[in-house]
Order: sequence, then C-alpha cells, then structure tokens
Amino acid sequence: MNKLETTGFEAEAPLISVRDLHVTFSTPKGPVHAVRGVSFDLGRERLGIVGESGSGKSQTGRALLRLTAGNGRIDASRMMFDGMDLMKANAKTMRSIRGSRISMIMQDPKYSLNPVLTVGGQIAESCRRHEHVSRAEAKKRALSMLETVRIREPEKVYSLYPHQVSGGMGQRIMIAMMLITNPQVMIADEPTSALDVTVQMQVLSLLDDMVRERGMGLVLISHDLNLVSSFCDRVLVMYGGRIMETLDAKHLDKAQHPYTKGLLNCLPKLDGRHDDLPVLKRDPAWLHEDGLSGGASR
Amino acid sequence: MIEIEHLGITFGSGKSQIAAVKNANLTVAEGESYGIVGESGSGKSTVLRAMVGIYSHWTGTIRIAGKPLQGKRSVASRKHMQMVFQDPYGSLHPRRTVDDTLSEPLIIHGLKNREDRVLKILTEVGLGPEFRFRYPHQLSGGQRQRVAIARALILEPRVILLDEPTSALDVSVQAEILNLLSALRKTHGLTYIMVSHDLAVVGHLCSRIAVMNRGEIVEEMSEEQMRTGNVKHEYTRQLWTASQGYDREALATFKEFV
Repeated sequence: MNKLETTGFEAEAPLISVRDLHVTFSTPKGPVHAVRGVSFDLGRERLGIVGESGSGKSQTGRALLRLTAGNGRIDASRMMFDGMDLMKANAKTMRSIRGSRISMIMQDPKYSLNPVLTVGGQIAESCRRHEHVSRAEAKKRALSMLETVRIREPEKVYSLYPHQVSGGMGQRIMIAMMLITNPQVMIADEPTSALDVTVQMQVLSLLDDMVRERGMGLVLISHDLNLVSSFCDRVLVMYGGRIMETLDAKHLDKAQHPYTKGLLNCLPKLDGRHDDLPVLKRDPAWLHEDGLSGGASR
Repeated sequence: MIEIEHLGITFGSGKSQIAAVKNANLTVAEGESYGIVGESGSGKSTVLRAMVGIYSHWTGTIRIAGKPLQGKRSVASRKHMQMVFQDPYGSLHPRRTVDDTLSEPLIIHGLKNREDRVLKILTEVGLGPEFRFRYPHQLSGGQRQRVAIARALILEPRVILLDEPTSALDVSVQAEILNLLSALRKTHGLTYIMVSHDLAVVGHLCSRIAVMNRGEIVEEMSEEQMRTGNVKHEYTRQLWTASQGYDREALATFKEFV
C-alpha cells in the first residue's frame, strides 16, 4: 500500500478512511473501470481531489456516499466513516448518513435545486427531513442559515424561486441546505466551476469558514489545480482512476510525478509572454500498478 | 483593421429594457490579437455577436478594414469575419460528417476545389485526412474544437472572433488549442478578438485586453499590466487578484460593482 503523507490534522482518528477503492460500471461494451484502487484518509481538513475529465474524481466522491449509478459496483477493502463500515451499511443506514452526516454539493445550482419550490422551502425541508422539528422552527433555522452563508435580506430570498437567484446565490443556497444538518463531512463536487472568479472566491471562503468553525472535513473535487492548491491543505492528483500523487498544497512546486508537472506547466500564466505552452504527454504506464510508485524515478 | 465606436446594444423594451453594451470603443490593428474579459453578463460575447451579425439592432459604428458594417450584411461581406464558439459539443451538427460541416461554407460562398480545400484545412488544424468522414460523436472535445476552427478558417477570413474557445476543454487540451490558435495567427496573419472569463487564457493569447463590467469597457490592460497587476480601475484589480488563486485577505476588500 502506498504510504499516505500525514499532516497535523490526523492526530485524531480520520473521519473517513478508504483503502483500495474500485468502482466498475458494466456497460454493453464491457466493464468500465472508473476508479482503480484509491486509498486516502480524511481528517478535519480541506482535502482536494484534482483531475481531468474521466479521471474518476467525481466517482470517488460519489462512492463515499454509495451514490454510484445502478450499473456500477463499488469494491473496497476498507471504507470507514466515523467507526462505521460504509461497505456493510444497509440502505436505511446510508439514508441516515447521506445529507445529515456526510453531505454533498453539486456543480450547478441550476440543476440541483427544485425549480417549482421556493429556495427557503427547500432548505427547511432538508432540515425537517433529518430532524424532528416543527415547521416554524425549520423556517427559523433556514433563515439563520441563509444569514450564515452571507445572503443579505434572508427573509426576501427565502420566498424566491431558483430561477430568480443568480448562480453565486444559488450555490450559497445549496451550501446552506447542506449545512443545516450540521454534517461532519462535506463533499463538494466542482462547487464553483459554473461561477465567475470573484463569486468563486466568495463561495470558497464560505466553505473555508465552515471547516474552521465547525471542524468539518471537506473534500473539494475540481479540475482546477491552481485553485485547489491555493485553498486546500492536501491535494490528491488523479489520472485514469488512480491517485498519481498526494501533495502538500503549499508545496505544489515540489510535485514529483510527471503528470502533475505536466498539468501545472500547460496552464497559461499571466506573465505577458505568448510562447507556446508545453503540451502534456501521457505515459500509458501511469495507468498500471507499477506506474503508481515510480513517479519520482521517471 | 477593426474600429468600434460608440457601440450600444439593448434588449427588451420598456421596464425590462437592458443595455447589454454601452458605448464600447476599441480598435484592433491588423495581425493583432485582442482580448475581452469580463464576468457573466458583462456584455463581452454580445460585442462579438454584434460584429459577426447575429444581432443587427446595434447602434454606433463598426468598421472592418475601413468599411463600415451595416445591420444587414451581404453574403460576400460575411466571408472576411468568422467566429469560433464556446461549446464544440453544441456548435457542430451531430448528424453531419466533418466533411459536410466544412463544405457548407464553401457551397454558400460558391468556392471551387472543395475537396482540396477541406483536406488542406484538416491538415492545418492538426487533424489529418482520416478525420474527413467522421461524425462529431466520434471525436474528442479537443478534436471537435479543431473542426470548429477549421470551419472558421476554411473561407480564408482576415478576422476570427473567438468566443471562449477553450472553456469547455480540459487544461491539457486547452494548451493544445491555444498553441494551434497562435500558430495559425502567425502563418495566416489573422486578426483575433478573443472573449473569455479567464484572464490567464486571454493574457496568454492577446497583447491587449479590454476589461468589461456591466456592459461597459472599464479599462484596457497592456502586457506589462497583466504581469504586474498594476491597473488603474478597481474592478480590474479585483478581477486580477481573483485570478491569482484563493487568498483570504484579498477577499475582504472585494466588493460589488454596479
């Protein structure tokens, strides 16, 4: 097993511990192996998972909640959450975990909010679904949650429909909905990709506060290596369903694996020069077991 | 090559009237690559769409190579200015082969030697003749965007308008497309106007950048300013800071520009 780097955050037992996770989809053209042997621990920290499309980063996130599509199969030698074995949990236990103890933010608020319900109603519903509280109490909590995610005039926004709010506000509402149950772990799958850069920063700062104030564990899944490394404590770089490298986010420049280096180099930089960008060359060996540890020697 | 003066476009009427572009002025020299950045709703794409003739109700003057453009264009005048769109998954007809897609502009403009031209352009965008009879679903995102670039280039235009040409692509593919675009500009002496929300992408391809906010061009940035971030307008500075990555302290100074 490849050794995982430890940071100060892991002094206590990890919130989530995954070993040798595989996700396979059966398709008419044969099995598709989306995630191939991923292992990591999540403490009360900000963990980034970075990769290009098809690298298995989202499927890793979904597998933690066992939200893999019907034709998919999850295998892992270990998938523990707070002392519970997620692999053995039955559907009922999973339902009690999803949303209330581990919650997930999706990419685009336009598609993940119900268009025919008011946003406030949806937040309150999330609250009532997981806890036995009265309607009035749920509304009160939803309003205070809207305030927490820095929405001005929460009373007014409460009764708006999703099409009446902007993308940034929609994503804040999604975050409010996910946080109202006070989860221990939040999985954010490209939470800011559909947003403008300045709004992106504001949404990230919100997630940042939540991790700090509530001691939450955050998994941030993204394709943007620079953004993730400036935000997270640790970064897993994925390619072809495998973890290529685990990096301390502050030392991105010390990346060893040629894939990580290639990804970093092919980003355009604001340096006023217009030379050709180095193009990423993929090594088929990265997809095999021996390509995993050999990052430094290649 | 391109001169835009007092360009204005409004949508809707009465109470719901929105001025998408207000009094935009810019000039682009022949062979230059000019960038427009801004957040969503800033009107950056609207400028391009007015130039290429998708919108015809604009006010002001647009001159291409000294000739003012009319709201209604002749077929021949459209040949000199072509556009590449954001999403290569949406901009190619799913039931037409690459050959059909590339031949259509040639048929419209009545150009001869269609086969030769198609084969030549495919090689130029790095695809090769074997892609000629493929359908879009048989191509990757980067290959589709290459077809879209070939479609714009096949009429041998002098101006190419690029509307977020790489934002639907992975970073490694984005690098390939940006390299292709800058190589094509050099070999053909093309003039580019590129629109993007990503300051780094525009900064890589363009030597001057106009920054748009709420329909107005607030500032024009030079190469030097892109490097140092030493810009005049507050909005530009905020955009520049945000594109440098997540920074808790800088965020406190962010505000809304109305």
